[in-house]
Amino acid sequence: MNGRHALEIRSLSKRFGSTAALHPLDLDVNAGEFLTLLGPSGSGKTTLLRLIVGFESPTEGRIVLDGRDISGLSPADRSAGMVFQNYALFPHMTVRENVEYGLKIRRASREERRRRVLEMLELVQLTGFDDRYPRQLSGGQQQRVALARALAYKPTIILMDEPLGALDRTLRIEMEHVIRTIHRSLEATVIYVTHDRQEALALSDRIAIMRAGRIVTIGKPEDHYYRPADSFVASFFSDANLLPVVKYVSTAGGDTARVTAQGDVFDCPSSHNVDGEARLAVRPRSLGLKPVGGIGLRGLLLETLLYGDERELICEVPGVGRVTALVPSRASADLAVGQAIELHAAHEDLVLVRHRDDDDAPAPSAADRTEEP
Amino acid sequence: MRRRHLSDVALVVVGRVAIVVIVGLLLLPVAVVLMLSLSNDTVFAFPPSSWGFRQYRELLDNPQWVAAISYSVKIAIPAVVLSVVVAVPASLAIHRSALPGRGLLQLGGIASIVIPISAFAVAMYGVFAQFGLLGSYWGLVVANTVLAFPFVLIVTSAALTRIPVELELAAMIAGASRPRAWAGVTLRLLLPAILAGALLAFVTSFDEAVFINFLGGPDQVTLPKEVFNSVRYGIDPAITAIAAVLMLTTSAIMTCALVLQRRGR
Repeated sequence: MNGRHALEIRSLSKRFGSTAALHPLDLDVNAGEFLTLLGPSGSGKTTLLRLIVGFESPTEGRIVLDGRDISGLSPADRSAGMVFQNYALFPHMTVRENVEYGLKIRRASREERRRRVLEMLELVQLTGFDDRYPRQLSGGQQQRVALARALAYKPTIILMDEPLGALDRTLRIEMEHVIRTIHRSLEATVIYVTHDRQEALALSDRIAIMRAGRIVTIGKPEDHYYRPADSFVASFFSDANLLPVVKYVSTAGGDTARVTAQGDVFDCPSSHNVDGEARLAVRPRSLGLKPVGGIGLRGLLLETLLYGDERELICEVPGVGRVTALVPSRASADLAVGQAIELHAAHEDLVLVRHRDDDDAPAPSAADRTEEP
Repeated sequence: MRRRHLSDVALVVVGRVAIVVIVGLLLLPVAVVLMLSLSNDTVFAFPPSSWGFRQYRELLDNPQWVAAISYSVKIAIPAVVLSVVVAVPASLAIHRSALPGRGLLQLGGIASIVIPISAFAVAMYGVFAQFGLLGSYWGLVVANTVLAFPFVLIVTSAALTRIPVELELAAMIAGASRPRAWAGVTLRLLLPAILAGALLAFVTSFDEAVFINFLGGPDQVTLPKEVFNSVRYGIDPAITAIAAVLMLTTSAIMTCALVLQRRGR
């Protein structure tokens, strides 16, 4: 990564009739960066991708790729590569013909095509599959061919639209490794679209979280995880429970806050720029059954789901609403649905976040409104 | 194990018998015609008193039949070409564009095989009379195209919906111009369906017996017209050979079309 922007997007917007699919947004992608657009369906991530690649034309705004304004160009002239969810391999062509398709159009010599196909198939671990047809390959293999096809002609940017969406879990994890390795070895600039945050966490240098046609926040995966920008990001990205806050004062330049909540006053980490209404975000794994000298949430156990090493507990906590905890399954084997339990979290595992009141994500229940300042 | 009631078994037996009887009734005339075509008699007689290829020889020796067959082909070929030229872009427009009213286009595209053909022929008669197309070769080509192109439209449309639009997009991102992406990917994958549709269109046009009577006039003699004439002016056993040839070639062409459609899938 040399810090140069491979892609610059300026006040780009897209309207379909009177509905805005994408509100004006700016986005910079560094050369060699793996950027993920993460969001629920209808959040505008695919629209943004289609605008970049040229399947849609923007209502307003500019897209600059490698210093060249590509906003008005046809997809063919944008020097982009794309991987689709349904692979989109040409069924009447062999693996070799698929991979060299872009090179043929660029009139590459036979020798160069041969060399490049060999290189690409080695990269995606499909050496020797040259003469197979797509229908003779498994889903994972097909997607690797699609990857090779998108990379073969060395596009300036690679776009991936939920490429692992059609694969089963085991294959998905395997493909995550393949994609990560390729990205690292080629230093390719990648924009990756997904609604799966595990994928986003595993692959990305940065994640842009999208919602209702806007980029809500953009940052490193760890930041979204440990210091979510607001209550939507916290609940969408890490399934965090949101606890009501009576009062708070930012301390240490905004890194921490002195919070009054759950009948207690304590210091805990805070995301930056908290002002106005706030919530305490606590991830399910931070909640345990043993007191840890932090906060305690007393509630009624509504449901338990065993995931293996962990068990999910769903509780109704008065004044908070539904709270989800993930606890070691051995230690929670005796719990019965309907019994009263107490969940605990250390103060340092809580994060104070700004509350988004236009939330259509899991909203705190009506009960907590009485406690709001 | 599931035990079947006697009534169920009876129902299955009755059903099977019914199918055999119906299929038999449908195929019986075919079998009779095939047998008659292999008769060496000079008059109709069933069963034939002698066997041979007399009727086929008669057919080939009679310049009228040969002329009628070649005239039917002469009309069918441009009708098929026109059908493909109209139907393939139409199916692309219906399934791959944002053209307003493409639903209507789809409906209108198959109207000619939905509307009762005699009513349609009357309407065509009026139009053709106005433009002086009655009794002309090109008039018949146009009429047959109207009848034949829905088959191409239906078959290519069905195939097109199974070709993901992403293939075209993938080709374009890889650097292909839109025409090149269409030709190299979409049309290439559509080819079996286009051929299948063309064969169906050919059979439809070749076999067309209604329009020719309304629009053809006395000088335009296609094969169905000649068959009709020969039956009207006394029965020539050679028409059994014609019928046999027609049935066999039609089944062969339909089989080809089916195979092509399967392969395109």
